[in-house]
Amino acid sequence: MKIRKLLRILHRDFGYFIVGMTIVYALSGIYLNHRHDFNPDYKIFITDFQVDLPQKDAITEKDVKAALISVNEDVVYKKHYINNEGFIKVFIENGEAVINPETGKGTMQYLQKRPIIYSMNKLHKASIGTVWKWVSDIMAVILVFVAVSGLFILKGKRGFNRWGWWLMVAGIVVPLVFALIYI
Amino acid sequence: MKNLALLSIVVLVFFGCGNQSKKQQEAVDQPVVVLTVDELYEKAAELADKEVIVKGTVMHVCKQGGARCFLMGSNEDINIRVEAGEKIGAFTQEQMGSDLEIAGILKIVRTEADAHNPGEEHGEDETTETDSVADEAHRIIAESLENAEIVYFIEGLTVKEIKEITE
Repeated sequence: MKIRKLLRILHRDFGYFIVGMTIVYALSGIYLNHRHDFNPDYKIFITDFQVDLPQKDAITEKDVKAALISVNEDVVYKKHYINNEGFIKVFIENGEAVINPETGKGTMQYLQKRPIIYSMNKLHKASIGTVWKWVSDIMAVILVFVAVSGLFILKGKRGFNRWGWWLMVAGIVVPLVFALIYI
Repeated sequence: MKNLALLSIVVLVFFGCGNQSKKQQEAVDQPVVVLTVDELYEKAAELADKEVIVKGTVMHVCKQGGARCFLMGSNEDINIRVEAGEKIGAFTQEQMGSDLEIAGILKIVRTEADAHNPGEEHGEDETTETDSVADEAHRIIAESLENAEIVYFIEGLTVKEIKEITE
């Protein structure tokens, strides 16, 4: 079998195989690029509120629960403690709240996972354990193979020797220019 | 194409099985005593570089991907940093306020001084220098090492959520 034919078959089959992971890397890559603009994993909702707390030395779990439910009845209380500033810090399901026990003023921060993207980011960052790290390495090698084998599939005017060469150089020059300027 | 699909399945099954047996092995090797964060600090010097299990409330999870979290002891000043590392992968924001039992290696670092200690960083050859400048430099470094603040952290291995901490 000719090399070009073999490359075409492997490029086609590995190309089908790797399309899912390519989408994962590309989409999550966009979100992770903007990690300094917004949280790539979670939507964050912040609300200020005012509650009535009993004026006593020891605020109980019951007091805190009642205060939070008056703000939002869906809030699920987990735990609370008095922090170094003397404020009540409350851990709630998917977030936290801080309440000034004297004024009753508080702020609640509620997190919501970005559907699908959260999982994609985890896969992209290989932060789900050792096994996935090695599997994603294999995926990356396949991706490189698909990219490189694609160079040699077409013959003629639109092949790598003419058209393809210049486009490949253009694709390398863009990141190279940024690397030379900013790194 | 059929061969490729078959190969993919075999690889996934192989990795899946390997992962399970490794987890079981880790469970067997775990130390038995579970310490609170306060207890861990009391025994920290003797437990350095050893595997420990510590339980506490998660008071902070690193927002940049959950690479580390802080477990709180009896108050927020008594806390310990836990690095998720490769074994745990990452902590999640949902774990904030949860009580976790984390197994890991207790590590000790001396702030600043570690980064400049030539003996530690470059091996024995560096200590053979005998000129007065080097001696003076080493004396200053040794002094700063003695005065440096000791910081403990845990390199996480396994994590388990617990419903309630019993003191």
